[in-house]
Amino acid sequence: MSNSPVSDDSRPSSAVVLAAGEGIRLRPLTANRPKPMLPAGTRPILEHVLNALIDAGVDDIHLVVGYQANRVRSYFDSTYRDVPITYHTQANQLGSGHALLQARDGPDGPFLLVNGDQIIDHRIVEAVSEAHGDGTATLAVVEGPEAVDYGAVHLDGSEVTELIEQPASGEFRLFNAGVYAFTEQIFETLETLSVERGELPLTDAIQQLIADDNHSVSGVRTDHFWMDATHPWDLLSLSRELLSRGWVDAPTVDTDIYVAESAHVHPDATLVGPVVVDSDAVIEAGAVVGPYAAIGASTTVGSGSVVSDVVVDTDTVIGSNTTAIELVAGQGCEIGAALTAAGGPADVVLDEQVYSNVDLGGVIADRVDIGGGATLEPGALIGPGSTIGAGVIIRGHINAGSEVVR
Amino acid sequence: MCGIVGCIGRGDGTVDVLMAGLRSLEYRGYDSAGIALGPSMRVLRKSGELDELAEVVETTEPTGTYGIGHTRWSTHGPPNDRNAHPHTDETGRVAVVHNGIIENYAELKAELQEGGVTFTSDTDTEVVPHLIAQALDAGDDPETAFHNTVDRLEGSYAIAAIIDGSETIYAARQGSPLVVGVGDDCTYLASDVPAFVEHTRDVVFLEDGHRVIATKTGYTILDGDREPVDVDVETVSYTAEATGKSGYDHYMLKEIHEQPTALRQCFSGRSDALAGTVTLEEIDEIPQPNAVQFVACGTSYHAALYGAAILREMGIPAEAYLASEYALSPPPLTLGTLVVGITQSGETADTLAALRDAKSRGVNTLALTNTVNSTAARECDHAVYIRAGPEIGVAATKTFSSQLVGCNLLAEELVDGPRDLRPLIESLRNLPDDVQSILDSSAAEELVEEYGGSDAYFFIGRGTNVAVALEGALKCKEISYEHAEGFPAGELKHGPLALVTPDTPVFAVVTGDDERARKTLGNIKEVQARGAPVIAVTDGKSNAAEIADETLMIPETEERAAPVLANVQLQLFSYHLADALGRPIDKPRNLAKSVTVE
Repeated sequence: MSNSPVSDDSRPSSAVVLAAGEGIRLRPLTANRPKPMLPAGTRPILEHVLNALIDAGVDDIHLVVGYQANRVRSYFDSTYRDVPITYHTQANQLGSGHALLQARDGPDGPFLLVNGDQIIDHRIVEAVSEAHGDGTATLAVVEGPEAVDYGAVHLDGSEVTELIEQPASGEFRLFNAGVYAFTEQIFETLETLSVERGELPLTDAIQQLIADDNHSVSGVRTDHFWMDATHPWDLLSLSRELLSRGWVDAPTVDTDIYVAESAHVHPDATLVGPVVVDSDAVIEAGAVVGPYAAIGASTTVGSGSVVSDVVVDTDTVIGSNTTAIELVAGQGCEIGAALTAAGGPADVVLDEQVYSNVDLGGVIADRVDIGGGATLEPGALIGPGSTIGAGVIIRGHINAGSEVVR
Repeated sequence: MCGIVGCIGRGDGTVDVLMAGLRSLEYRGYDSAGIALGPSMRVLRKSGELDELAEVVETTEPTGTYGIGHTRWSTHGPPNDRNAHPHTDETGRVAVVHNGIIENYAELKAELQEGGVTFTSDTDTEVVPHLIAQALDAGDDPETAFHNTVDRLEGSYAIAAIIDGSETIYAARQGSPLVVGVGDDCTYLASDVPAFVEHTRDVVFLEDGHRVIATKTGYTILDGDREPVDVDVETVSYTAEATGKSGYDHYMLKEIHEQPTALRQCFSGRSDALAGTVTLEEIDEIPQPNAVQFVACGTSYHAALYGAAILREMGIPAEAYLASEYALSPPPLTLGTLVVGITQSGETADTLAALRDAKSRGVNTLALTNTVNSTAARECDHAVYIRAGPEIGVAATKTFSSQLVGCNLLAEELVDGPRDLRPLIESLRNLPDDVQSILDSSAAEELVEEYGGSDAYFFIGRGTNVAVALEGALKCKEISYEHAEGFPAGELKHGPLALVTPDTPVFAVVTGDDERARKTLGNIKEVQARGAPVIAVTDGKSNAAEIADETLMIPETEERAAPVLANVQLQLFSYHLADALGRPIDKPRNLAKSVTVE
């Protein structure tokens, strides 16, 4: 299907969104869904990405899905905000270039490419779209210390002269924000490359274009909001940023306080902004929720609980008299009364790497049952489907499906 | 979501082209539809499915050489007749169809009303024909009147209009989809390509701000400054059926996966978990009935069996009747009986006949349906919507789940309290995630490898799980064409046990750990003694999992919610069985989605 409008200028109005990856570093939260479906505030990261595209005038969206693809499909269906969505399946996750190739039959003419797991201000998309003139590729360039993580860019005027995959720390300050505009040439270039070391990175193709005199790659500097979640605790800062900006899909009831119409907040509960309570959520008497609390749809916060700096995903029950600070909770958890998660800082071990001084009270993956009076030591990670007995003190990492008793 | 179509240059074929176009946009909605034709400026519109409009078209045989059309579907809020498109100005000189939202309509409406214009609908759309008429009155020619009107609109829209005395379709796009189909000597307009893809594959994809002036000799595209723009014509390769399946192989699988969303919508805003109360605003004035009779067909009848069972548990005499039997052999009615028709489409002829019979005998009737403003919803005294969203697969899946939740809401609203509903509310609120956990981890597909190709499949259960057993068997037979039967577990030994062999797997639905569960365990042993493999669909509260040969687990929940979960496992088994057999899952032979004949 080809739905892309062709205009007399070359401003692309189709977009390809890469949403096939699991996001391994966000385990154990990604057991049942890909990273783009993890919560940013009370909505999936990908929903914010699609909002940015549509706000920037995109009217034809191609989603490349792979890992747990049905989660994406059943959430967005075939249109989002009246914009048609076409799905392309990447059966094996062989890198961003390979992912993009799956959408080869998607857009006609120039198109935008964004990552489904990075939140971007729509003005970044607009800037790339506007700057994409006669060149083959245009990419958004952001200044910041993150160049080490995202790949540095060397600019000569507006021309990208070099992409540096893993720059030495501090050497570069400009980096590739992962927002691109391409002509269909990118597909042809990608097809000349082969999957090496199990991966076909998009940047390989861009390097080819830079090296080829017949093609040009330009960069457009932008300082608009751009944010990524790399580790589970990043969901807390992501949510903070979104709440501060009011990028929240619920009506405002007071300054910085957003509550869906179908939510029930007991008159004796206290909401401290910024806070968002999504549809059909319940806040019981005496609970103090916020600041920086994102309470997902159909979630319950029990009476007398105090929660701040939390992201609680849909269908989760937090028992009464819980204290939860800097906590990420997944979908469908049952947390008994009087849990204590008092917040960071903590040293978190993830994939045998130690992250020091992380502000994290704990991470509870999907469908975890916790008995009454349990305690999370700062930085605790509980895998999906685990059962934690009453009064247990959790330290470190609990594997998926574990049963822990005192 | 709405769909719009337009066509000029097809002469007498215009009406057929518009109707076929609307038909293919039905996935965008079908709770009301309408067309407007030129040069007569005749407008036909009708609430209900497109068939309703088709009937009017067939009887009135309208003619025209160009025209526009609209189709709409909603799950929230009752759309009424006067809100159906196309909308016209006071004199009928202008007709307009619109998809999207005009954000500044309140302001425009106030201004028009100050000028003495009378509005006949609550829609935002209606400002458009009035503004065009006003511009015509001010001396504008039709095209200028259209441009001047569109210039004033804010928001998102795809609009098409026809204006008396001008053999032209005027259209504009801003934020909502609109495409132009380029035919030989004719031009098509639509929200989406499938609407005209059978006539042409040459398509112009408009951009926001574009306007189209289409006449029988061709079309012009203008930008917001009314300057002509040159837009390429593209040739699309398009299989219309791929639309709307979101990459799933079948609508049925898509709809199975949509159940968490459907259940969330069904329950949203209808309970107060803090107070432990359930409220169905639509029917909160109905007094507690002395008795309830359910009438329904097919899958909806299984939901009716469940509804009747839970009402009986609450002390209300309740029975489920097959609608096709009810109308011909009506059971006696007493004063204060409520007759509830369950029908997904709201158009099922047998159910309508049964409801009409009940109504003619002077009792209150209620429709539990998915389709706002359907015939059942309009004809009954009351209507409750299950809000499952459009269901396209012939085999009902998500609507059954939503009907079961609807039955709970209905029962709790109808039967006077006081009761503490918090556990029930909690279990219904948890259903979306409980269903999602089954979708994330079901072993049903692996069972097909083991048990596909068996002689027959039997399904047993007791209490509310009888409904699940019958529904599991119906799903299995309708899409896989394999022999399948469902029985109340205790009935096996009274006959069907003769069919049980080592080559007939038995699915036993066992939830909870009460007398019913324990007796069903006895029935499991009964069939195992005849060599049949048993697949327990269970929450693990009883020891069914230990006794059975295989297990399909469901999350622990309240007794009322468990049947919804057990049924999802059976849906998945039937789907994968049919898929392995290569059946046309979305369109099983001999069956139709909504049976509108008795």
